[in-house]
Amino acid sequence: MKLKINLKHIATPTKIFMTVLIVLLAVLILQGIILQIERTFRPSATTKPEAELTQEEKRLNRIRNSAKHFLADGTIHLIHKPRRTTGRMDEPEIAQIYDANDNLLWEGPYNRRPYRYLSWAMQLRRYGFTRKRMKQMQMLTPGFSRNIEIPVSSYNKTEQIWRYYPGADYFMGYNINGGKIGYIGSTGFTDSKLKAKPFGKFRFFTAWCPQDSVSPTLLWQTQRHIYQIDFEKQHVELIFESTDSDIEIERTSLKAWRDLKPGAVGSSDPKKYRPLLICGTEDGKYHLILREPRQQLSLAVPHPWVTATKKNIFVRNYWGDVMPPADIADSRELYDKWLEERRGKPRNLWVELYKVDDQGGLELLNRYDWTVPDPSMPVVRARDPRPAVKRYVSQISPLFYDYVLRLLGRKFWSRALNYQNRGDFFYSLARTILDFRPYGGVINRVLIALMMIFVFLHGWPRRTSWARFVFWVVFAGLFNLAGLLTYLALNHTAVIKCPVCGKRRGLARVDCVRCQAELPAPERGKLDLIFST
Amino acid sequence: MRFSALLRKELRECLPWLLLAAIVLLVFGGFFLRAETYYESDRHYSRLSAGTVVDHYQLTFYPTLNLTGPWLFCLSIGLGLVLGIRQFWIPHFTRTWPFLLHRSVSRKTILTAKLTAALVACVISLGPVWIGLYWYANRPEVFAIPQTPRVFIEGWIFIMLGLVAYLGTALSGLSTANWYTTKIFGLVLATIIIVTTLSQCTLAGIFAVIAVSIAILLVQIFDTFLRREY
Repeated sequence: MKLKINLKHIATPTKIFMTVLIVLLAVLILQGIILQIERTFRPSATTKPEAELTQEEKRLNRIRNSAKHFLADGTIHLIHKPRRTTGRMDEPEIAQIYDANDNLLWEGPYNRRPYRYLSWAMQLRRYGFTRKRMKQMQMLTPGFSRNIEIPVSSYNKTEQIWRYYPGADYFMGYNINGGKIGYIGSTGFTDSKLKAKPFGKFRFFTAWCPQDSVSPTLLWQTQRHIYQIDFEKQHVELIFESTDSDIEIERTSLKAWRDLKPGAVGSSDPKKYRPLLICGTEDGKYHLILREPRQQLSLAVPHPWVTATKKNIFVRNYWGDVMPPADIADSRELYDKWLEERRGKPRNLWVELYKVDDQGGLELLNRYDWTVPDPSMPVVRARDPRPAVKRYVSQISPLFYDYVLRLLGRKFWSRALNYQNRGDFFYSLARTILDFRPYGGVINRVLIALMMIFVFLHGWPRRTSWARFVFWVVFAGLFNLAGLLTYLALNHTAVIKCPVCGKRRGLARVDCVRCQAELPAPERGKLDLIFST
Repeated sequence: MRFSALLRKELRECLPWLLLAAIVLLVFGGFFLRAETYYESDRHYSRLSAGTVVDHYQLTFYPTLNLTGPWLFCLSIGLGLVLGIRQFWIPHFTRTWPFLLHRSVSRKTILTAKLTAALVACVISLGPVWIGLYWYANRPEVFAIPQTPRVFIEGWIFIMLGLVAYLGTALSGLSTANWYTTKIFGLVLATIIIVTTLSQCTLAGIFAVIAVSIAILLVQIFDTFLRREY
């Protein structure tokens, strides 16, 4: 009996929790189905025919769409590639090369151009193994989670396997014929588990096989360090260490760093370029690590493109007045005002080429300016900027979503919706809540009021206590349709007409809620209490 | 004494299913594990070429027990469902609940015996076979590279998911509501938990989800069973 009483206090909330969770999910699925049906049967939008451009507009369009490339002496060329004939992929890619004064210098197939432009370090994030992929790899599947295993091979026959242990943050090596080789951690190779030091919080890695080997070398980036790991030689080299702030994954780039065969994807001319690694840290600095000879520099230029030839280090900087000044970026009001002042006006863009000296100082070599028409979209003044169907479908969502959004704050949501978390269960949940939040619209308020009235009218004759009754009315208000369905699922009972006052009363309480008369005892031969009254 | 008698009775009823699950896992899991040994050399044939960037998909591998995993997962869920049906649904159809409930034991003891029998059945049917397969896969003469301890834990997570499926089935079986209302909610919750678990990356997250779900289902099973009219 004691267990019964104690359990009731826990069982009721868990039952409500379980039911509302399932009903919320069912409502979300229903909303998703409606949106999908609308998307399937939506008539395709008709595009307006574009107006014929003047010669000057065509010229400005060409400049805007041209790639801006620099020669090693700082000369800028604008490369325009006219559209190919539709369906003729066999046609060579034709390029028109213009100088800064818009004079046509050369025209012909792009791969036969007579100029050799500077090529720049490429960001690795797109091609490498990020934290998100590491998470996906550790995700539980019916076939278990996956491992990172680095083979060390000769003549295509694997001789060793180095397996990464995410918990311990080091690699453990195994001989293919059996037996453990040792450990590779931040301090290098060791044969003792106790001596193996973890690399640190994983962020990113990229792998390549050097020209003289079929065993991968890894560039391993952690929160504060970048290591190069050669598994064949069992050697770990610390490439970069940031003592002040974390390294950003998005800003790590390489140029001629990897020893790749000529013509391979990502390869650079080793006779022209110096091996270069660039990484950005959260304090806004960029760190250049160069080889042949070893050199390290720091830059404070926003989003630079960097390359290092055998003679010079160059920085290319794309910028313009499209971004707000730093002092107003954090204020929504100031930002909106700044945006409004600039609406309809053309934007100025420029590209600059700098030469970097040995101390990290910049010397401007060349600059090219051009303008683009106002790219801003028409202002949507509505409180809820979503498409109409989604807006209407969201009206049955609970008001609770809006409260959760407000309660947890913008910081939490921006962290939860970080693209690095894409694919996570909580990312999907956050995305769904954000997508189907009701935005506190009028229809939503009216629906909530209707749900509450329904619960009130339904619950009044069935009420067993005031607290319970008020709870369910408020609950229906918070959860909208899901709240109403949960209420009905857990509280619907048959009602009978009270034999004393003649009004309806539920069967969950012994005495009538209005006249306090007790339930009637069934008469002899009339066992059905409901139909006999 | 009464509890142990009830437990023996429940275990006796579970025994065929328990043995069936163990034998199927042993036969098919063992077969696929053995088959993996023949592909061992192919697995370690390097497809990398010198002077090229390595696609990271070439460096991520499922463990050698990966073909055994789906068998363990499905058998565990299946065993959970079968045990739930056997213990909480069949007595409805055969109308044997009153015989059980009118014995001189409390309802709490009856339910505890059923739950203990199911727990023991899940653990002793699939657990030892799983330990055996893991041990076999870790022998150096079978696979040169041992399995990670995480694989072993994940196998036990599958067994725990079977328990979640059992509890969901039990709750649905005990509910007196209609099919189109809340009767099916126990099974739905178990399904949601299994799907959620399969999208988790950290073991801590997985255990937290399973622990919370087991607590929710257990509390409701006890509450429903102790209050229900038969």
